[in-house]
Amino acid sequence: MSQTRLTRRSLLAAGSAGLGALALGRPAHAQTSVAFQLSWLHSVQFAGSYIAQENGAWAERGLDVQLLQGGPNAPVEPPVISGTALMGISGVDYTAPAVNEGAPFKIIFVAMQKNPFVVASLSGAPIERPQDLVGKRIGMALANMPVLQALCTLNDVNIDEIELVPTQYTATPLLSGDVDCLLCWETDLPVAMIIQGAEPVTMLLADYGYELHSQCYIATEESIANRRDELRALLEGEIAGWTAYREDTDAAAELTVNKFPDLGLDLETQKLQAERQVPLMFSDVSDENGFGWWTEESVARNIETMKLLGFEVTPDLWDRSILEEIHGA
Amino acid sequence: MNAVAADPAPSRRVGAFVEPLLGLAVILLGWELAARVLAGTFILASPLEVARYLAQNTGLMSRALAETLGNAALGFLWGNLAAVALATVAILWPVTQRTLSGLALLVFCLPLVATGPILRVLYGPGDGPQVTLAAMAVYYTTYVPLLVGLRAAPSSWFELIRSYGRGRGSELVHVRAMAALPYLFAGLQIAAPAAFLGAMVGEFTGAERGMGVLTIRAMRALDVPATWALACTAAAVSIAAYAAIGALARALTKAPPPVILASPDTSGLRRNKPILNAFITLVLALALWWGAMAAFDLTPFFAKRPGDVLEALLLAPDAAQTRTTLLAALGETAKLVVPGYLAGLALGAGLATLLTLVPAAAAVAMPLAVSLRSVPIVTTAPLAVLLLGRGPAGTITLVAVMVFFPTFVACLHGLRQAPGQILDVLRSYAAGPVARLVHVRLPAMLPAFFAAARMGVPASVLAVTVVEWLGTGQGVGALMALSASLSDYDMLWSSIVVVALVSVLGYAGVAWVEARILSRYAAEQVAR
Repeated sequence: MSQTRLTRRSLLAAGSAGLGALALGRPAHAQTSVAFQLSWLHSVQFAGSYIAQENGAWAERGLDVQLLQGGPNAPVEPPVISGTALMGISGVDYTAPAVNEGAPFKIIFVAMQKNPFVVASLSGAPIERPQDLVGKRIGMALANMPVLQALCTLNDVNIDEIELVPTQYTATPLLSGDVDCLLCWETDLPVAMIIQGAEPVTMLLADYGYELHSQCYIATEESIANRRDELRALLEGEIAGWTAYREDTDAAAELTVNKFPDLGLDLETQKLQAERQVPLMFSDVSDENGFGWWTEESVARNIETMKLLGFEVTPDLWDRSILEEIHGA
Repeated sequence: MNAVAADPAPSRRVGAFVEPLLGLAVILLGWELAARVLAGTFILASPLEVARYLAQNTGLMSRALAETLGNAALGFLWGNLAAVALATVAILWPVTQRTLSGLALLVFCLPLVATGPILRVLYGPGDGPQVTLAAMAVYYTTYVPLLVGLRAAPSSWFELIRSYGRGRGSELVHVRAMAALPYLFAGLQIAAPAAFLGAMVGEFTGAERGMGVLTIRAMRALDVPATWALACTAAAVSIAAYAAIGALARALTKAPPPVILASPDTSGLRRNKPILNAFITLVLALALWWGAMAAFDLTPFFAKRPGDVLEALLLAPDAAQTRTTLLAALGETAKLVVPGYLAGLALGAGLATLLTLVPAAAAVAMPLAVSLRSVPIVTTAPLAVLLLGRGPAGTITLVAVMVFFPTFVACLHGLRQAPGQILDVLRSYAAGPVARLVHVRLPAMLPAFFAAARMGVPASVLAVTVVEWLGTGQGVGALMALSASLSDYDMLWSSIVVVALVSVLGYAGVAWVEARILSRYAAEQVAR
């Protein structure tokens, strides 16, 4: 597939060179600049994209990609809808409410097949099943109440029998014994605890029916219609980058730390995080159909989970057409 | 400390070096003790741990500092230039003053949670939001004292200018500018830590590097030494800026404060038309809001217009529910912000008064006061909540700290504005320090105190929303953050409008009290 693209582009390049691109002093194959809005600060969480950038996976497809860092006060939706970024990283639980508010977004790629939410506890008093939560104190941001409620409903646990302790997003209350467990992500607080010498045990919510696509790539309907080639090249670069990532997560961590010397990233933390997110990102489905893929069945289960969270979602939130072109389905 | 204090004995020169060192030693000792008590709780790093972290990460920290400091300095410059420009216009054309002050206040009251992402979309990648937020954090706290200072001149001086047949321009250059200098410097001193905080919060909108970015990382990774190293570096820079501006102020403002005699003018209160002024300000604000969004062509998905907010709060089918949610969150916040605000005011004025009576206490009080306020609230908020619990104590304390420092600095400057001649009169009657305080210094402090009390309203709202957003996850600060993450921009903008209006009302309430008291004690501030 990509063969035909290259041919077409080299033709275009030859044509434009003949039309006087040389007079402008620019390279014959001009790169299109696009921006990709990440959902959080640079870290190995997005290392596949860094590899794509460093290995030239995007450059050889005619793209000059700018990776925009996220942050606590940097929601992804505004830059994507206003065109500052062509594509952004979101999650079903963020995209669906935005679409309900009138944003014309579609999910075109699912980088994290399994939702990263876990209940983290310490190995001395582990929580291994949802039923273990009964009678325990769980530390969580109040904003995540619907997540816990959904987990309880899915597993017939009475949420009233769990003591909720509102905490910030930090592992401190667990380590200081103020709570018995935390609701957090598999890839951040547990990693921080291990680096600090603690032994966390994590129970993945996705293993107990809480199925929500995370790290979904979103674009507007207008971009999907009018900038399809750019989106396709962007996703092809992502696939190449993440494939290389999976082969050597340590190298991906090292690249990340070296690429962002001003962020104070710790190599060991990044290596551990890189390793832990592999099982969330790659599955039999992605091995069989290609990275970023999802099935109709998983969309149905996502819709069920969203219903438990209080949001009505329809299957047309997902648009697999570009991915189908890439993976040749 | 006072211009007329006539006892600069030789020992004072030694004291000038010993006192700050003593204060620093006391602080370090207390800090080390606290860190020992809290060891193993992942809350407080000891001075030694902080020093070790700084030694090991000098390059990283200095690059981040250069970035944030550069943005803060630019914001400081732009923000203060804007303040001077606004104050000049307000003095030259007094008709515009009420409206200008109202608009300036409204913009200052806009919560950071909301302005950050919009600025990021407007500027795109780069330093724009950081510089703008730093400027927005300072312009108002300079504008208010400057306006006070521009009026703090005896009417006889204005009469002199007028007797030469000169107008408002000459008044401004020859009388008002000189009278305003001490007040301007007080404003600039308060602005220094605020600009740094603004630049750090600006980095939360997706900046590539800087101390705010490192702070987010350090807090997530449980890296307590890094968090405190960041807090200490930010505090050290703010203290240095505070001291430098103070030194500059002492070098430039040598003249003793003048005697200001103005007759109480209660009729002045009636001449203003508060309702009309408020109406004009409101209409202008709405026009600016709508105009800005149209001019920048911001998508209505996240940049809501006045009509959208009106609909969300009053007309939409779920308007009642929106109002209930919003009011509940506001109520939660009010329970924290009011006590914190009052405590901060009382502490600030109280400590400033105490230092006038017992100057020796300044050795410990001054550095502690400055460092407390200079530690950026974005680093301390989550830690203080961990330390003091999620109950009201932590939030109230942080709000009080934010209000305390500007009040303290303003009152200290105000106390120094006591005219030497009048103090001499009291001294010649052998009046003691308390009598001098009550009869001369406190009345002289009142304009500055009330200016601080007014500024304290938006400052405390800023503090409480930041603590709720980054710390406790409750109240209207958390509601705004949650609304933004779930794209509920109707709720976000409704919150912005309500928070800004409540701040303005609080401010107006303080101004109402102020006008009644100052018309007796400092009539020149009230007369038009």
